[in-house]
Amino acid sequence: MTLLKEFILPRFVQWLIVIFVGVTITFIIPRLSPVNPVNEALARVQMYQNIDPEAVQVMRATLLDLYGLEGSVLEQYVNFWKRVLKGDLGPSLASFPLSVNQLIGVSIGWTIGLLGTSILIAWTLGVILGSLAGYYPNRWWSEGLEKSLITVYPVPYYILAFVLLMAFTFYLPIFPLIGGARGTAAFTWEYISSVLHHGFLPALSIVIGATAHRFIMSKALTTTEKSSDYVQYAQMAALPERKILLFYVARNTLLPQVTDLSLSLGALFGGALIAEFVFGYPGIGTTMYTAINNGDYNAIMGITLLSIVGIATASLLIDLMYPLIDPRVRYR
Amino acid sequence: MFSLPSFVGVAQLPVDVPREEVFVVDVIITAPVPHNHNFWITGPHPLVTHAIMMETLWIRDQETGERVMGAAISDPMYNDDFTQMSVELRDNIYWSDGVQFTADDLIFTVETLKATPGLNARGWHANLNKSMASVEKTGDFSVTFHLTEPTPRFHSLLEARWGAIYMMPKHVFENIDDLPAYTYTDGPYLGAYLPVEEDPSGVWQLFVRRDDWERSPAGIITGNPGPKYILEINYGGPDRKVIAMSRGELDVYYDSDFESFQSTLETAPAARSWYAGFPWGYMGEVSTRELIFNFGSETQPWFHEKDVRWALALALDIQAVVTDYMGGTAKLTNMPVPTTPALTAIYHDPMEEWFQNLEIEIEEGVMYKPYDATIPDQIAAWAESEGYEVPGDTRAVFGSGWWAHAPDVADRLLMKHGFSRDDGGNWLTPDGNPWELEVLSDTTSVQQFHFGNAAADMWKDFGIDTSLAAHERTLYTSTNETGQFDISGDWFSFTLVDGDAWPVFNIFHPDLVVPVGEDTRTTGGHATRLTDPKIGEFIDAMVSIGPDDPSSFELTTEMLKYWVENMYSIPIVAFNKFVTWDERYWTGFPTFENPSSMPLYWFMGGKLTFQNLKPVDS
Repeated sequence: MTLLKEFILPRFVQWLIVIFVGVTITFIIPRLSPVNPVNEALARVQMYQNIDPEAVQVMRATLLDLYGLEGSVLEQYVNFWKRVLKGDLGPSLASFPLSVNQLIGVSIGWTIGLLGTSILIAWTLGVILGSLAGYYPNRWWSEGLEKSLITVYPVPYYILAFVLLMAFTFYLPIFPLIGGARGTAAFTWEYISSVLHHGFLPALSIVIGATAHRFIMSKALTTTEKSSDYVQYAQMAALPERKILLFYVARNTLLPQVTDLSLSLGALFGGALIAEFVFGYPGIGTTMYTAINNGDYNAIMGITLLSIVGIATASLLIDLMYPLIDPRVRYR
Repeated sequence: MFSLPSFVGVAQLPVDVPREEVFVVDVIITAPVPHNHNFWITGPHPLVTHAIMMETLWIRDQETGERVMGAAISDPMYNDDFTQMSVELRDNIYWSDGVQFTADDLIFTVETLKATPGLNARGWHANLNKSMASVEKTGDFSVTFHLTEPTPRFHSLLEARWGAIYMMPKHVFENIDDLPAYTYTDGPYLGAYLPVEEDPSGVWQLFVRRDDWERSPAGIITGNPGPKYILEINYGGPDRKVIAMSRGELDVYYDSDFESFQSTLETAPAARSWYAGFPWGYMGEVSTRELIFNFGSETQPWFHEKDVRWALALALDIQAVVTDYMGGTAKLTNMPVPTTPALTAIYHDPMEEWFQNLEIEIEEGVMYKPYDATIPDQIAAWAESEGYEVPGDTRAVFGSGWWAHAPDVADRLLMKHGFSRDDGGNWLTPDGNPWELEVLSDTTSVQQFHFGNAAADMWKDFGIDTSLAAHERTLYTSTNETGQFDISGDWFSFTLVDGDAWPVFNIFHPDLVVPVGEDTRTTGGHATRLTDPKIGEFIDAMVSIGPDDPSSFELTTEMLKYWVENMYSIPIVAFNKFVTWDERYWTGFPTFENPSSMPLYWFMGGKLTFQNLKPVDS
């Protein structure tokens, strides 16, 4: 009972407050933008052909009604929460009559697949290689890895991505130029392999940078741990090196990195906008960009809500789990 | 970046169809509702889809200016007072499920649109309620519309430039309760192509030719089967379009910049645009690129002085704008009507003498003729000095004459209104402050961006403290429409391709002007916020005159003269489109040598462009 009251409940309340404040700010910000969804819709239909001004007035009234943008901002805010609590994020204003739920549903799978996989691969690679390089700093492969990854790390992501795009779609055109897969979704090897083929290049671009980041972090942590008293004591006690590395050094260096991993996974609902843009990959980042450009309030709020909930929940979970993985902060 | 050789690419299309059977078409917008073919609602539908699946009564070709018969077989026929319009329909076209198209479909379409507020794409519901009293079936393939008041342009609702009222299959739609919510995914369709596969995100969509393609208007008109498949795909930015064409994964694209087009020429040997060589691009879309004044601006009250507007025009060196900033790939226009072949014949050529005699008063009793008819020749001379061959008459290639570069005259015009120069030669406004100007520009539109830069540079050289505010399309548009600018690069044409002005010029009516800060799209007005009552009188007088009536052209000509005399905007060029296609797999795309139709394939007439294609082997 004490655990629930003094540990879990305050964190849960904090989680609720973070979401409430975040979503409220997200509700307000698009409405401060000069881009108005109704006017953008009118601009789209007038792109190639002028429309009788009287008809424009009627269209505007119809769109306000359809989009649910009539009434005061407060009324819209209350309606928004009513809908959200029912799991309905409303209609997309730029992709009407599609709902925001459908819009997110179409793109979120690609983002989770690409970013989730890339983050996990980069984290695993970075932690393993960084730990090894930190523990064996004078080996040739350790020095080679460090020099290579430190060279790659400062390269801005968009440049790295564009170089990969040019290298493997133009000069050596072995990867597809656009899309997440070939053909219509089906549980066949042909389709699954096409998903892997399409995702490889954007994933590689993310993995390279993220691995370098994780490698540097992990190596630094390992170097610090390696010089600590208990490791030196274990070495003097002639404990097996593998045991020292895995159970003394790596275990301790993992703690901050697990926190970072969970926050990274929580943030993946925000998407990988640059990767999606450069590689023409479908995902939530592009959906968000389009929504911002078109003043699609509902889609902006829906995606941001997802992102806020993702990060807040990841923080909550790691907060709750930390005592389990770190005996030093275990709740007493 | 593209100059190094690449390995020969193997097409990796997102669909499993033989490359030689599919024509791959670039679209510039990803439509997130690819399965939704309900084009009667307001939604982000794919740009090309409507042309190959749907039919309107008529199509207007922007290259030839001619009306092309769609589902109709006659021109619109009005009674004397324009209160009735009749039309004869084709008796040989069929929906894709085999049911014949008849007058019942047309009547059902307009009555349904009129009765259903949710079916108001492009204002059809509102317009039909305003204009159409009733519709009468006069035969299985003939219909008469009874109009609420004399409406000489009622047919424009049914005649597509980009789009118009699309025919509905009555035998299917009459059984649908909620048409605005109906996605119309499974047809039947009246066009020659049917959707077969799509990317759920809307990046691509595959269409297959109907087996009975010869029972569609495009099939009947061309007599050619066209490609078996059409794949619409949004490759995104120009860099990926260039790569896609070099890999053989794209047959045609548009909306690229000159540099990307040049890269395509280097990496796709069979690629070309309208001209086989210089100046390459197609400049026949009925649209101009202009600099507009913000007449609602409180910081630039002198824009209301005609002489100030003329001074700004005369401070521009148009030859340098075209050659230095656009590489000579532009077609000039000195009024807000593009110099397309059709419109040059209707307006530019008949007005040429008037332009040459036009005079403005510099000082009391001192007149000046600002028009320089030799500017196209000057551009041609520059092109030849650069080693280019000019493909034909200079006026046909580079457009009309323009205003002479006369900074000395501009000086006198400004000084006449109290402007002065400081010791450094910089202009001071009549109230003694440095004259600051901001030119708003749309970075998405390459031409607009280029001449926006040019104007800012030239006015700066002239002594005005000028800056360029360049924004991406969405922000540019909202900034433009809410009047947050001094001078803005804009795009429009005062007339349709047939020379009719009212349907497009009516947005300049003073009644539609909203104050700065409010969005002009709320009223359907124009961002320039011009409140001249005489413009309103022109527009009001145009309403009741038939578009084919000679007096309509006379009135429009008078309006254009009034506009030019007052320099209410500074038109720069006709719209240049680097519509670029690769003849590796398909041939028959319209060209300067074979101007059978417009190459603007995303308009309704694009259906004929596609239908005319032939595989290269044949």
